[in-house]
Amino acid sequence: MKPDDIATAITQALIQGGSQWLVSTIVAFIPALWTMTLMLHLGRPYVLRTLRRCGLRLGADVWWMSYLLMRDAVLLITFALGWIFFSPNIVANAALPITGPLATLCLLLALAVKLARRVDDDATAYRVATVFLVLGATLYYGPQVFAIEATSQAYLSGFGQIFTSNTNVTAALVIMWISLAGVAIVAGWLFVRLMISANRSMARRIASRQTQPPTREPAVTVP
Amino acid sequence: MSVQDLTNAIISGINAGGEQFLEGTLAAALPIIWLAILGLHLGRPYILDMIDRFTLRLGADLLWLVYIALRDLLIVSGVVMSFMFFFPDVVTTDELPLTGALAAAALFGVLLVKLMGDPDTNLRDFQLVSGLLALGAALYFIPYVVGVQGNAITVGTMATISSFLVTNSNPNWAVGIGYVATALFAIMGAVATVYVLRTGGRAEVEETTSTRKGA
Repeated sequence: MKPDDIATAITQALIQGGSQWLVSTIVAFIPALWTMTLMLHLGRPYVLRTLRRCGLRLGADVWWMSYLLMRDAVLLITFALGWIFFSPNIVANAALPITGPLATLCLLLALAVKLARRVDDDATAYRVATVFLVLGATLYYGPQVFAIEATSQAYLSGFGQIFTSNTNVTAALVIMWISLAGVAIVAGWLFVRLMISANRSMARRIASRQTQPPTREPAVTVP
Repeated sequence: MSVQDLTNAIISGINAGGEQFLEGTLAAALPIIWLAILGLHLGRPYILDMIDRFTLRLGADLLWLVYIALRDLLIVSGVVMSFMFFFPDVVTTDELPLTGALAAAALFGVLLVKLMGDPDTNLRDFQLVSGLLALGAALYFIPYVVGVQGNAITVGTMATISSFLVTNSNPNWAVGIGYVATALFAIMGAVATVYVLRTGGRAEVEETTSTRKGA
């Protein structure tokens, strides 16, 4: 083997290995993000109890704002990183939980509930979002712990075979396409809702501006 | 050896090395996280004493909120970082403390008590949280110090105990303990979910008993 061949091998390895490492790091990070998402969502009663003890409005506002920002940002980042489950090549070649796309769809549904209803005021909406998050987490954790991360356990090999994307490619791709269709429907519904809401609020503003009498210029008094 | 063979060898080296580096970094950071959690929990009287000295309500509020945020976020981070103890492949490959998964379950128990109780005002809840933290710390630090960090210098019976306390030299126990901790997590997670569904995200469970008129 010539030095050029070794250089080519190292370059290719860095490119391919780097990309695989990035994918596997994202996959390894998603359980941590799912756990954070769940904990921050389920921890709301505790955050509210702490909030009540603040003597000043400023402290309470800072506390609540930090909680909301962190909770919703983690939710959004988890969904964004979960997009990896909608890449057919990665689903077919990498070992991913087969129900990962469904879990990501559940995450989007929880986000949609948050966008459509006032989850922090409406207890029913909060419960619906909780159900979506818990369902999504279960769909993610089950195959992740007992299939992807349990290849060394012979008695779990059957389960692993069924629930790992690259050993059950046909089912994995079917689940992925169905979930992607679900994501498209939810995203489309959110888009239409946003447009209707924007049209309504902007039309109302324009109408109120037109009905107001024009303000008169203040008369300039010459001393 | 062809160029493709060399490429594949380097790729698997990068992936395996990268994964082990990530897990090794998490394992090395966990004792620091545990110590910080214990320090902040045990430092509560000091913080309360300092709050009493504030002449401005705003400063006292901010100190208390920063303390609580730091303390609780560290507990959440500890639970999140301990997730690797539930993965059978990781515990059978890496040198980790044998009862690390149970320590993570104890930490999750602390979060559950904080969610359903009020350890900052209720003494019973505070004692429960302190007990769970002490138990979790013991379950983490004893196998960590005696097993993971001490297996190279121990001899005789101590060497046997030391190797028993490390996951990759005792894989059957490690995987079994991992399953027990996973079951505990699932049960506690279900309890937390039911509680939150009952409260609807409010600070307390809604009162279902109606007060009698004219009482």
